[in-house]
Amino acid sequence: MKRKIAFGAAIAVFALALLSTRFYMVDVPLWHILGGSDRPDPVTLHLRGEFVESNLGIGKDPTGGFIVRMIAQQYVFVPQCIIVPAGVPVRFRITSADAIHMLSFLGTNYGLEAVPGAVTEATFTFADAGEFKIPCHEFCGPGHYAMRSRLEVVPENHFPPLEPDERRTCDAK
Amino acid sequence: MTQNKGSLALRIDGRFRAFAALLFAVTFLAAGTDLPGQRGTTEPPVRIPTNVAWTQDTLAIISNGDAFRGLLIARRCNHCHGEEGFSAIATVPNLAGIDRFSFWKQMEDFKSGKRVSAIMQEIAGRDSARDAADLALYYSMLPTGSDMQDKRSFPQAMQNPMRASLAIELILFGDGRRGIPPCQACHGPVGSVRGAPSLARQNGDYLLEQLDHFANGDRANDMNVRMRSIARQLTGEEKEALAHYYGAGLGPDVSAW
Repeated sequence: MKRKIAFGAAIAVFALALLSTRFYMVDVPLWHILGGSDRPDPVTLHLRGEFVESNLGIGKDPTGGFIVRMIAQQYVFVPQCIIVPAGVPVRFRITSADAIHMLSFLGTNYGLEAVPGAVTEATFTFADAGEFKIPCHEFCGPGHYAMRSRLEVVPENHFPPLEPDERRTCDAK
Repeated sequence: MTQNKGSLALRIDGRFRAFAALLFAVTFLAAGTDLPGQRGTTEPPVRIPTNVAWTQDTLAIISNGDAFRGLLIARRCNHCHGEEGFSAIATVPNLAGIDRFSFWKQMEDFKSGKRVSAIMQEIAGRDSARDAADLALYYSMLPTGSDMQDKRSFPQAMQNPMRASLAIELILFGDGRRGIPPCQACHGPVGSVRGAPSLARQNGDYLLEQLDHFANGDRANDMNVRMRSIARQLTGEEKEALAHYYGAGLGPDVSAW
């Protein structure tokens, strides 16, 4: 009886190891390739997918909370000014249209790398209202040092509620 | 004992097969759907700035132009854009030595109505993608030196030469505090970005008009809001300084290197 249990346990462990290997080596890549949601084509960002220009900026996340979508490209971030409410977790999704760029939120320890052909996602919470500069922090070409965006954190009661299909930025008009 | 072992192995085998089949089925079903929560059901109406994308197919069409065929087609462009690709009217762009990728993109955008122009939409609508590629190659090959026999408005002296330093600063360094990159990083000569034409021999009045259109959104056919982001942050003085500095033939040029 004891031997049977040990045998069963050994098989279970072995099967689990096989399955988890399979999951990460086969299922996840398949999921990404066939699902396609996380691998936007850098040259057709403006034609289809979640990074079309009308979808950039902060919006309501259908699963709750806020979501910010951004494009980094030589040599401007779009949008160039992001406005977010303070004290609320905000999900950032960012991709690049050409080279590798990096957003570095000066004054915080937050940063995000923008990679062509991939989406970088992170959830940040900015506790206090204020303004942060976001320079590009990865050399991307001769205009790199002038590539900057800006983050405006406003108190939550100063952030008017968003419509479900509204995208907000604080870009100059 | 041996019988027991055999039946156990059989049972495992049968179950394993069923389990494996189920796993594969689940994998392919899951792969066909998106990860939950990554695409909102509530998205604003999609705005597409231009139908052109720099895919390999597009680059192949543009790269396979025929300059002689372009020369023949270009006869109907001569009236406004000049026989040598330099326009006599300052608000009409010069085409001599133009970057052929950006030329082709503008023709496609006129055709699809993404860039609005009463005259050019009518004319470009008659040309196929191949015609545009031929024209692009022809104009990109035209010489850009001066010719005293030709009527051309380029170059025009700056009306306000005191503003030259403002233009030089923006062309060479941009303004990092506002996130304005230097013009020369994309429009040459130090860097180039696909679709960004050289401005070194462009008419000043035309450039000023386009900067204004980018700034107020009348022209919105740039991919990923690139030029609009920059132009809407420039002051009127800066736009004028930049346009007329380039229009005076002072802008940095690849051939000067």
